[in-house]
Formats: sequence, structure tokens, C-alpha cells
Amino acid sequence: MLAYTLRRIVYLVPVVFVLTVVVFAFVELLPGNIVDTLAGSEGVEDPEVRRALEEEFGLDQPVYVRYGRWVWRAAQGDFGYSLITRRPVSVELMSGIPATVYLALVGIGLSMLIAVPLGTIAAVKRNAPIDYAAQVTSLVGISIPEFWFAILCVLLFSLHLGWLPSSGYVSPFEDPLESVKYLILPAMAVAVRQAAYTTRLTRSSMLDEMNKEYVDTARAMGFSERKVIFKYTLRNAMIPTVTISGLQLANLLGGTVVLESIFAWPGIGRAIFEAIIQRDYPLIQAGVLVLGVIVVVINLLVDLTYSVLNPRVKLS
Amino acid sequence: MSDEAKRPAFVQTRRAFMATTTALAGAAAIGLPRLARGAQRHPKRGGVLRFATRDDTRGLDSHRNFVYYVSHPMAGTTGGLLDFNGRMEPVPAIATEWDVSKDLKTWTFKLRRGAEFHNGESIDAEAVKWNYERIMDPKIGHSFTRGVLGDLERVSVDDKYTVRCHLKNPSAIFAANLIYYPANLMAPGSVDQADTHPVGCGPFKFKSWKRHDTTELERFENFWETDAEGNALPYLDGLIGYPKKEDRVRLTALRTGEVDLIDNMAYADAAEFESNYGKDFNTWEVPHVGTAYISFNQKNGPFSAKDNPDAHLLRMAAAHAIDHEGIHQAIFHERGAIAKGFYSKSSPWYAEDIESWPEYDPDKARAILKKANGGDATFLIVAQDSYPYMHQSAEIAHAMLQEAGFKISLEIHPSPVLREKYQKGDFHLDSSANSYRLDPDAWYARALMSTSPDNKLRYGYESEKIDQMLVAAKVEVDQEKRRQIYRDVDSLVNKDLPLLYTHYVPLLQAGSKRVQGYQPAFAGPFQYAGGGLRTTWLEG
Amino acid sequence: MDDLAVHDRAAAPALAQVPAQVPAPPPRLRRLSAALSNAWYELRKSKTGLIGFAMLAVLFAACIATPVIATHDPVRQNYRERLVPPSEEHYLGTDRLGRDIYSRLLWGGRRLVTISLLAVAFGLAIGVPYGVLTGYVGGGVDTAAMRVVDGLLAFPGLLLYLLIVTLAREWKLEGFYNDLILIFALGFAFMPEVARLARGSVLVEKQREYVEAARSMGEGGLRIALREILPNIVSPLIVNATVRLGYVILIIAALSFLGLGTPPPTPDWGADLSAARDYMETAPMIAILPGLAICYTVLAFNLFGDGLRDILDPRLVER
Repeated sequence: MLAYTLRRIVYLVPVVFVLTVVVFAFVELLPGNIVDTLAGSEGVEDPEVRRALEEEFGLDQPVYVRYGRWVWRAAQGDFGYSLITRRPVSVELMSGIPATVYLALVGIGLSMLIAVPLGTIAAVKRNAPIDYAAQVTSLVGISIPEFWFAILCVLLFSLHLGWLPSSGYVSPFEDPLESVKYLILPAMAVAVRQAAYTTRLTRSSMLDEMNKEYVDTARAMGFSERKVIFKYTLRNAMIPTVTISGLQLANLLGGTVVLESIFAWPGIGRAIFEAIIQRDYPLIQAGVLVLGVIVVVINLLVDLTYSVLNPRVKLS
Repeated sequence: MSDEAKRPAFVQTRRAFMATTTALAGAAAIGLPRLARGAQRHPKRGGVLRFATRDDTRGLDSHRNFVYYVSHPMAGTTGGLLDFNGRMEPVPAIATEWDVSKDLKTWTFKLRRGAEFHNGESIDAEAVKWNYERIMDPKIGHSFTRGVLGDLERVSVDDKYTVRCHLKNPSAIFAANLIYYPANLMAPGSVDQADTHPVGCGPFKFKSWKRHDTTELERFENFWETDAEGNALPYLDGLIGYPKKEDRVRLTALRTGEVDLIDNMAYADAAEFESNYGKDFNTWEVPHVGTAYISFNQKNGPFSAKDNPDAHLLRMAAAHAIDHEGIHQAIFHERGAIAKGFYSKSSPWYAEDIESWPEYDPDKARAILKKANGGDATFLIVAQDSYPYMHQSAEIAHAMLQEAGFKISLEIHPSPVLREKYQKGDFHLDSSANSYRLDPDAWYARALMSTSPDNKLRYGYESEKIDQMLVAAKVEVDQEKRRQIYRDVDSLVNKDLPLLYTHYVPLLQAGSKRVQGYQPAFAGPFQYAGGGLRTTWLEG
Repeated sequence: MDDLAVHDRAAAPALAQVPAQVPAPPPRLRRLSAALSNAWYELRKSKTGLIGFAMLAVLFAACIATPVIATHDPVRQNYRERLVPPSEEHYLGTDRLGRDIYSRLLWGGRRLVTISLLAVAFGLAIGVPYGVLTGYVGGGVDTAAMRVVDGLLAFPGLLLYLLIVTLAREWKLEGFYNDLILIFALGFAFMPEVARLARGSVLVEKQREYVEAARSMGEGGLRIALREILPNIVSPLIVNATVRLGYVILIIAALSFLGLGTPPPTPDWGADLSAARDYMETAPMIAILPGLAICYTVLAFNLFGDGLRDILDPRLVER
């Protein structure tokens, strides 16, 4: 186990390396010089202005020097300054990450609250109407575009009914009650798809588990149905569900761009999206790198957790 | 003729200033109906107004980043030597009087005593000098603002409260240019925090900025302006700006009570808003926030005289293809008006008798395309993605040009990408707009003067005649004569077609009934001398 | 949004647990036709599969027949007939620029489905050889190759596509090439999953007796791989591909919604949905219809994929 863990950690290195290279390359490949953008229409022609800006951003150095410099600084947490706001990039990132994590966590939590019971019941009462209903709704749930669902929610709950605000954000640390009001619609939009997916997953895992030999044995030994389900099958079936939800969480961190735009949610997805549009290179690089590293680490943790919980299976 | 009458239009002596402010106070009492209703109730101090805007400033340093008076909440914190009033006329702010030498090259400003920055530093001549020098630094100053100070050679300090600006070239309008776009004054001692906690001299001071989320401002207690009765302005305790890019999101926020005021409503919604919701909300029509136009790339390509002897003919064909009435209906939903020149009826610079651009005649366009050189080329029309009417106009223009026989494609881009295209000359038409300018020179010189960097980048238009006219206008002190010069310029523009004016950009601001004493300036700014958010209070 | 990749990573170990005793496979062609007729029989038993199949049939028919059944030029504006409700001339009414919605939906769907199919096909085309080769060769090469794949998978959600699409835009690629980049990017993202499947299968098959037997008779390794291994992975691949199609469609729609799809005025469901937001109250249909279309298409693929899975996945025989 230890060897496996160490090996996986070592594997992180080339993965992160590939990440940094791709992120850096992306910015390099973009036509459109930083200098051209910043110099404005007057400065573009002025050689003095250009030279000053080039020096400031180290553009006079060759590519590998710039890459090395960037990686070295990034490893220490220094991502440079945003080209647009001129504040440290870490400030921009830190202001965005909590909001996204908040949304992602609540969204996933909400989805599991719905999906796990629903999937379990569907599996246990297989082919009953409830199973049928669960399958249909979860199929539809994974087919709905999130942004469309979000728009429809706003139309209904905000415009017509006036129950909830249509956009915006309040930090849970500032005003928990207000915060929830703003959180509901975006979290619903996140949860719908996640819940549909997790329901299907839970149902299929439960069915798998219930088909296993030990279940028949337990029943033959006289355990009550309830005990069989809750004590054994559910716990085992939860393993893939929980671990996959962990992976889902990691993916949500960058996947909420669209919802963040619709709900004016100041998260990291939106920050990076805006940075891409505004060609704020330091922020793009830092944001994608940080998110990528987080995803890789979460993936690793999930894999390790999975192999701990289910030692029979070794993920190669 | 007395000395007074010979002075340039925007130079006022102390006497004139007093006359203006009393007139303003009087106008406020009997003027536009909504304001009158508000003025009858007694303003209350207190309350925080929540304001949803379409845009947010890029960064907090007001020298590096352009702060837009209509849509950037940070504009609540800015201030400079001069200010403007509801009619977009220059009035004193930090400078109480100003004067210009006979040769129009030296401007002298006398500063208000006791004016302070938000951190208590006093605003004196040295501070003003430091500010202008910082703005003029090409590594720091934003191109708009630097352009405004473009003629400035150096600044000298006579005494603690007197500043002298020495220009390279004579200019009758230097002072007016200082206002829009703002040459903001920030406290010299705060330069290290300019990007994180800026210190200015406007009616509100900076409290916090959460990017893409909120901008919080609070009242500056020592703001220099008072209302007609001598009470300190502003009345509001504070202001929170919520940038929300989409019109619909902003409108929904207003209707559900999340915000008290919004800076713009989609034209599609505006049509019905007043009839459906007029009882619960106030609306303010801003007739002229800017002017939309379609410009031609004359640096290279079929529209350029350098590359194509029939360039002008092709531009005329394009102009014949555009149905202005269609734009008026489809994009602007019949709000605002079609533009024949840069200034609309609501502006003192408006000219009735400008010669018009070519009439809508797609058959004629098609005929020209057949016989003109370059008529069979493939064209590209571009637009910026930030304002809906810009790229929607591009879409509709694209369709109109296609119908008239042009082979044309459309691309919509964010501004950094668009700038690339400008530089490479990689486009033929550009659907764009420019915001209202207090002084015509700020628009005409920037767009049409052959030496203007903006012109060289985007249009590549060179006309000796226009250059001469603009230079003359810049030193003409008689306002009426200037107006006529610009009218002639627009007539020439409509004939020569470096660009085709399409439409004035209107705005509809809306707010809850709680918002009293508010009136946007006629070109959109939400705070100005004697009005806007400075005189707003919250009822209930 | 990468839930599929996630799912298959966890499912992979289960799939690898195939019983050791498997009879020698019959010749390929007979197996294929037998499989097809068996599939059709099974499909009829699976209700979801059947509904999905029907929905897909309608969808594909519409896509193919678009040039014939569309009533108007989807790009032609008529600003005198903006936001007209459904009528005889315009079956679904017109949008904010007077364009016929029905025709726009048809052409938009055609483009969307085509790109998605090409993207998934591309993913299969590069993923299978990649997986087969690395699995077959094994050792250090295998490990390194999978690490690279992991590196690519590290990009969270939509971000990778945002970056790629932005790059494509920057390089000034005309309409078709823009789509090509999207196809490559989406196909590339599908590749790891396909490669893993292929590789897993290869690893299992490598140990089988008949492979040893064939080897000893002198057949080249690659030919063995292609002949014996490929048919076995066809089933799970098809299931994955079908579900992946639904996912790819959602991604493309999301990208266009954000404004990063094909530029106007080309019909595009995501972009049309975004543009319609301003008219949600005055003309809600133009906001609802594109979303409905996306939903229908994705649902069709998902239903069909589910049906296929019911048939083809040996694990699920007991259901």
C-alpha cells in the first residue's frame, strides 16, 4: 500500500509538469502581444513605451527563461500581477476560489441528499413504479443543459414568483441567511445534473452489490432485509459513489463557468473566463494551473481512498 | 465688445461662476418635472443605494484605468479640476476659476481652498502637478486620459493654490477636456495603494472592491459641494455598485428589489417597461449616451484609396446598402434617433442643416458593386462584443450588405482581439460607437485628424481639408462659429464617408420609487455638479 | 462536467475482472452479423433503447433531410417580421432579427450532430490504437503514455475547451476550421477513456491461451491484437461512444452559450439560446425551443446508450 501511494505521488510530478507546459504554451501561442494591448493606441507606435513594457514583463528574454522563471515563482506562490487590475494574481484567485468551492460543495451535497436515497430505493424496489420514475427523471436530468435549466429557474422563481434573487452572491460568513437565498438557484442548477448522475450510479452500484453472493448468504442466514441493505450492501455500494462524487467535485471546480456567468457568481471559473477574454495572461496561467493541481491532487486522494476501501481492486 | 464677451465659451470669471450656480439652483427648482417633484420633498441624509451597472472598472488606479461615468460604480469617487452639470456644461470643481492666455497656450487654474482628498491630504497646486505628470507618463496613463492631456507640455506651480498648464499648441478647449474623460486627481501620498485602495476627491470614497461582484463606496464627509441651502453633499451614506453585464439580469434585480437603480435597460424591455411597471418604478430617459457608426478601413483593402481607385465609390455603395430605419426599429426599438452627425438634438452642438449621407438604395449599391473595382472582393465586418447594440448592429448591417450584393462575413471579438485586427488592417468595416463628448474636439480630432493615433490605428483616414477645419475649430473662441465648423466637418464626412453615422445611443435608467432627487445627466453620467447621485436620497 | 471519464475510471477495474475461462472466439464476420441480429432482438426488449432509437431515427432523418425540409434560409434577416409567433409561413415563428426559427433549429442541429459524431469518431480513431499499442507494448512506455493522458485529464471541466477554442479563434480560423479544432479538442478529450478501455482489454487478452497459441504459430503481435482484441472491445466502446455523444453536445452548446462557438449569423442552438435571454418575457418560445432541442438530442443518445448497455454489457445480463 505504501509503495502504491508513493508511486502515485511520484506520478504527480510528470502530470503537473505537463500541466505547466500546456498552460504556459497556451499563452505563448496566443497571437496578440501583451505590449500591444497595454500600450494603447498612442503607445503602440512609441518605441520607448514598448521597451518599457517589455522590460516590465520580461518579454525580452527567451522562452525557456521565461518559463523557468514563471515556474520557479509559481512554486513559491508568486504568480505575478494581473495585467488588468494590477493587483497580485493570488489576490484575484483567492477572491474567486471560496465562492466556487462553496457552490460546488453545496451542490454536490444537495445532489447526494437526493440521489443516494432515490438510487437506493430504486435499486431495492427494482422495476416498481418508483424505480421507473427514478430512472426516467435521472435520464432527463443528465440530458438537460445546465444553463437552460438555470435560465428557466430564474424565469420561474425569480421573475414570476419573486421568491429568490436572480443573481448575486453573499458570503456565508457575512450573512448566512442572505447567503442561502442567493445560493439556492445556482446550487439547484448544479445539483440537478449531479443528482441525476449520482442516482444512476447509486442504483447500478446497489444492483451490483445486491447480486453478489454474500447477500444471498446473509439472507439465508436469516438477517432481516433491512439489516442486509443498510449494514452491508449500501455501505459497499457507497464506495464507488462517494469516490466518484469526490471526482465530480474536482471537476465542478472548473466546470461552473456557465452557471457563474448566469448568476453573477464571483467564482474562479468566471474569473478565469473573464481573464481569457481580456487576455490577462498571468491570471489565466495561474488560475488554470492552480485548478489543475487541485484536480490532480483530489483525483489522487480519491484513488487512494478507493483502493483503501476496496483493497481487492488495484487501480493500475 | 467687452472683455467678458471675447472670452472663450468655457472660460468663466468668478462673477460668471456665481451667476451659473444660482441659475443652476433655480433650474433645479423649476426644471424637469421629476426633479421638481423631488425637490419639493425635503432630502433626507442617510441610506445606502444599491446600483446595478452594466460594467465595472478594470482596476482601481484611475490614471491607469479609464473610469466611465455612466457604468462604472468607481466613478462615484473621481473628481478633478472641473466638473460638469446636468446639461454637460463645464463648471468649477476643485478649480474655482480658470483663465487662458491670449495665445491660448497657457491655462491658469485657481484652486479651491480647503479642498481635501479622501484621506485628508489637502489638494494644492503641487498635488495637481504631480497628478498630471503621472497621467502623462506613457507607462502609466491610460490612453484616453493621456490623450486629453496630449497638448500639455509642462505644469508649473505659481503658489499653493495656483496651477499653470503650458500647452504645446494653442487650444481653446483644454479646460473642458479635463472633465471627460476625467483627468482624475488622486492623493500623491496614496500612490502605493492606487491599485488596492485608491484615494480620490469625489463625493464618495472607496470602501471595498470585490471584482465582478460589488463595489462599495461611502460618503466623503468633507466633500466641497453643498446644495442650494448649504447642506453638505452627498446625502447618501453610501453606494454599492453591482456590475451585471446582462441587461436582463440587471432588470430582474431591479424588479425583484435586489437593487434600487440600474444604469441601462435593454431596448426590447424598455418599450414595455414604462407601461407595465411605471407605477412601481421611476424611469429616466438618457437621450444621448453615445453615437453609433460604421467605419471603414482606409489603411488597406478595397475601401482604401491607396489600394483602390474606386474606394470612395465602394464606400458609397456600402452606405446605400444600410437601411437606417431598419436599425432604428430592430436594434433600438424606435428609441433614440437616427444620426446624421455626431451630436443629437439634445446637445448644444447639434446642427440642423448637416448634409446627409447617401440614402438607402440597395439597387444602387448593387449597381455600383458590379462596375466598381473591388466590388467582388470578400469583405469582413467586425464588432466588439461588449455592448449589445454594437454587435447587433453589425449583425443587421451584415445582412443588409449581403442583400445588396456584398460578399461579406462577420466576426465579433473582445477588444484585445479587435485591437490586433486593427493593427493588422485585417477587417473592412467596423460597427462601433463613441460616447458623448463634452467638447466636439475630443471626438472629431480623435477620429478624423490625420495625425491622431486612434485614426491611424482604426481608420487610416487622411483629409487635408478636415485637418485644416479641425485645427481652426480648436482655436476658435466663438461657440457658434465652432458649431458651424463642425457642422461642415460632418457634411464632409457624410460625403467622403470615412465613417457612416448610424444612430444615437439612448439609455433608459430605472429605479425604485424610493430613489428621490435623482436625474442622470443628459448623456448618462450618474453623478455630476448639482445632481445625479450627489443629490439623491432614499425615501422610506 | 467530466463525469463520464470519472465513471469509467472507477468502472475499469470491474470490467477487468472478466472470468478466466472463455471459449475461443468464432470467426469475425459471422460473429458480427450474429451480434447485430442479436442486438436488434435485445433492443426490442429494452424499452429505453427502443425509444432512444426512435428518437435518434427522427433526429438523423431531420438532419439529413434539412436542406429539403427547411423552409427558409436560416441566416436571412427580415427585420420587419421580428418575433412573429408561429404561423403557416414560419412554423415556429421568427427570432429577434426576423429569421425563421424552424429552419435555424434544423440547420443548427445538423451542424451540431455532425460535429459531435466527428469528434467522437476521432476520439475512437486515435484512442483505440493508442490504447492497444500501449497495452500491448507494456512496461515503461505504457506507464509514460498513461501519465501523459492523465496530465490532459487534469484540466477541469470546460476550461480546457475554453483555452482551445480561444486559441482557435485567435489563429483566425475560418468557420470550417474552427469547427475542426473543436472536433480535435473534443475527440482528444475522449481519447483517454477509449485508450483505457482498449488497453484494459488488451491486457486481459494478452494472457489468453489462443493468443499464445497463435503466437507460437508465428503470427505477428499486431495482427493478433487487431483480429482478436478489437471485436471484444467494440461493445463497451459503442456504449461509451453513444453516451459520450450526449456529453459532447452539451459541451458544444455550453461553449456557444458563452459566446465561443461559431460566430453569428450561423445557426447554433447554444448561441441562439443565449441571445434569446433578453426576450424571455416578451417571446419566451425563442428561449425555450433551442434548449428543448438540445435536451431532446442528448436524451435520445442517452436513452439509446442505456438500451445498448443493457444489451451489450455482459455484466448486466441478469437485469
